[in-house]
Amino acid sequence: MNCIDLRRLVPIDPARIDPEALAHAARCRSCNDFIEATRATEKLLAATLNVPVPEGLARRAVQRAVQRQGISRRYALAAGLALALGTGVIAYRAKDDPRALAGIDFVVYEEAGAILGAKPADPRDLALVAARIGIRLPVNSDDMRYVGTCPFDGGIAHHVVMKTSFGKVTLLLVPGRTIGSRVVAAAHGLEAVVAPARGGCVVIVADSTRSLTRVESSLYPA
Amino acid sequence: MLTPGRRAAFESAVSANFNDLYRFAYWLSRNRWHAEDVLQESLLRAWRGWAGVREERAVRAWFFTIVRREFYRMRPQFPQGEPQADAIDPAFETDPASSIDMANALRGLADDSREALLMQVLGGFTCAEISAAIGASEGAVMARLTRARQAMRGRLERADLKLARQA
Repeated sequence: MNCIDLRRLVPIDPARIDPEALAHAARCRSCNDFIEATRATEKLLAATLNVPVPEGLARRAVQRAVQRQGISRRYALAAGLALALGTGVIAYRAKDDPRALAGIDFVVYEEAGAILGAKPADPRDLALVAARIGIRLPVNSDDMRYVGTCPFDGGIAHHVVMKTSFGKVTLLLVPGRTIGSRVVAAAHGLEAVVAPARGGCVVIVADSTRSLTRVESSLYPA
Repeated sequence: MLTPGRRAAFESAVSANFNDLYRFAYWLSRNRWHAEDVLQESLLRAWRGWAGVREERAVRAWFFTIVRREFYRMRPQFPQGEPQADAIDPAFETDPASSIDMANALRGLADDSREALLMQVLGGFTCAEISAAIGASEGAVMARLTRARQAMRGRLERADLKLARQA
């Protein structure tokens, strides 16, 4: 560790300074002053961020969140009943497919936990899985930000987070789960498509149709 | 049907993280009313997904990810501009002038740098955890954090210099 390394590393995460950097600072007055100045700025930053939180807001916000879901469920039940009674229609074909919605829910509610809780997998294994289900991976391994496995829709999926020129895209490769045709959904500002493949299916979730289309079109070998 | 145990566990998890989530939403939106709206929608979505939460240690990252996502989803609906009346006065635990300069420096940061800095300081997350939450590479997160701190430091030094000249 030298002075340049220390001044490059400390501003990245001043709360977790590398022991080697601290050892260097103990011998180098200038670097020690740099660490002290950085710590003083961090203290000021923490104090500035510490804005007062409105009293009782947490309790009110939880109450409203829980109640709103209860109300929407009751409305959904009443609306469903009225629809069935009024029209006699029992079958209702939703635009959003539940399998594609499950992909969006996974990204919104579970993806961060899955990434933090799982042991990342080897991208080479992913290539084998892709070949087995009959798709081509749409990016090279440099563009993959995370590769792992996760529970999904009652089974196990191979989970890929990748960076494309249009933003972040999540792929879930689900071997053995074949579907008849392509299905879609949109929710929470995200769009999802479940694309059929020879030996399973692929769920693609992105925040724009452009990303989705771009990735989907590159899945199938020419 | 609500399970009392499930709701109690949710309330307890929210309560343990709420202050930092509020501050995260506030410094992302820089407006107290927008922060409350973002937080309300985030908690609604968190409650809907609560049944699927399995790893207790990942709950904090999950909450922060939802708040971040809701902020970006709702931001186009927020009126443009930043009325000072809706900003919260900085805490004056240290030097008031420095706190104001720091608040201005934070407001002046680029969105991507500010969100990485907030997740690190308020959330206590590592660069790898921030990288996973925002879908950027760890190297990009490190660069954003360095840029944020350099920009803040530069701004604070310029403010000190101005003060010294006035004196």
